[in-house]
Amino acid sequence: MEFSFSVTGPPKVDLKDSYDVVVIGGGPAGLTAAIYASRARLSTLVINKGAPGGLVATTEWIENYPGFPEGIAGAELGRAMQNQAQRFGAEFFNGEPEAIDLAADPKILRLAGKDIKARSVIIATGTTPKKLGVPGEKKLYGHGVSYCATCDGPFFADKELLVVGAGSSGVQESGFLAKFAAKITIVEFLATIQAEGILVERFKKTGKGSFLLNHEVLAIEGDRTVSGVRVRDRSSGEEKLIPSGGVFVYVGLLPQTGAFADQLKLDQWGCIEVDSDLRTSVEGVWAAGDVVSGATRQIAAAVGTGAAAAIEVEHYLSSKS
Amino acid sequence: MGMLKDEDKKYVREQFAEKLKGPVKILLFSQRLECEYCRPTEEILTELSQLSDKISLDIRNLQIDSEGAKQFGVEMVPATILLGDGERDYGIRFFGIPSGYEFSSLLADIIDVSCGTNDMPNHLKAKIAAIDKPVDIKVFVTSTCPYCPGAVRAAHKIAMLNPEHIKAQMIESTEFPHLANKYAVYGVPKTIINERVQFEGAMPEAAVVEQVLSALTQPQS
Repeated sequence: MEFSFSVTGPPKVDLKDSYDVVVIGGGPAGLTAAIYASRARLSTLVINKGAPGGLVATTEWIENYPGFPEGIAGAELGRAMQNQAQRFGAEFFNGEPEAIDLAADPKILRLAGKDIKARSVIIATGTTPKKLGVPGEKKLYGHGVSYCATCDGPFFADKELLVVGAGSSGVQESGFLAKFAAKITIVEFLATIQAEGILVERFKKTGKGSFLLNHEVLAIEGDRTVSGVRVRDRSSGEEKLIPSGGVFVYVGLLPQTGAFADQLKLDQWGCIEVDSDLRTSVEGVWAAGDVVSGATRQIAAAVGTGAAAAIEVEHYLSSKS
Repeated sequence: MGMLKDEDKKYVREQFAEKLKGPVKILLFSQRLECEYCRPTEEILTELSQLSDKISLDIRNLQIDSEGAKQFGVEMVPATILLGDGERDYGIRFFGIPSGYEFSSLLADIIDVSCGTNDMPNHLKAKIAAIDKPVDIKVFVTSTCPYCPGAVRAAHKIAMLNPEHIKAQMIESTEFPHLANKYAVYGVPKTIINERVQFEGAMPEAAVVEQVLSALTQPQS
């Protein structure tokens, strides 16, 4: 038996009254921004509602982030990034702001009932998995419908599973689910597989998987737990029910910008619009990572914009004072 | 070689030195036979208890100390309980090894118990303190679920603000499949309050407190 022990919990912080930089989001972009800001000796607070690394923490294994030729567990990469930011003095608050006023100068954020002043804000709230939006999905969430293979995979030992989405996330996590499941069918709306080739090769090697392309998921069926998924062949129009003990959904990502929707300029998909220096439409507020309009949505890219945003903030604050 | 990495030990030792105030006793109910996870739990808690002189560890055998087990409501092992100053029971329980992400829940709980309080906002503290009926919160987790510590911590924080009435248990789903099966756990975190209210996912603390209150007013289903 092998165990791991995560020591990077949400540390208890005594919040200061004000910070030079408040970073909202603790994924790769936010943590990189925090590393740069705290090394620039700016007082830095990171607000993170989940595990260190954000969405990265739900990725079982990461192989396309440079510097780790054998790959690295998503959870470990997230922890390492947070440890690095803490080492240089960044503080962490676990939770979400109860109120945000970006127009004020300094900006005001309410955390655990306390108003914190921020000379600048970097928004790196990233994305959250998109729902399919079909009948049965909501009712059966937690009863066979899941968006997190690393969380829930062990409950589906020897079951036949259906994964929706043949993008890199869907195919990679199917490879992980193959450790438990008897059989996996990946259903894809489009006629082609979008995932990286190496992930597809590996999934096929498990001998447990197959693809069902050009099919639309119509409904998830089941009484107390998932029993099957109704799909339609998009070329023939034929409908059928695929028996399934569980459904894992990987159909894309939604930006987490609800808290700022009325304060910042967003694009038609709800992502934050920025200029070439990652400035948002509000002075003193930057955005980085997957939440930015047009982002590549790769860890390596998020790390890049996190660094750039922090450097811009440093210039801004030094020109102001 | 120990279970914790040297660099992690150093980090935890520093955190404890800075943040622990009063003594914390880790009480572990364990057994030698037919418990795959008992031995590794003993090992990790032994290592952990050596990282601060404010922490002590008391390992008891479930069969030999059945009286004690009954007193703390322990029927399955490994069961980890945190006691504060004067061996005050804060209602915090971990059933199954606190590994993976749940190790961070344990660390944060130890700091809270040592301080005798937590950072729950005052208006929620008042609501929790006013509860005068028994509350049992079960939080099912897996050690690889990054969303789970949020749910475990919320439940444990609620319990420690009113431990006379509230007990909160983390349950590692893969170690206790009969319970996961009984409560139809297919996704984690899953929280069950007084066998009446249940919900999936990590909710904000304020919402969890409301769920606890609703469990007290709802008729038994």
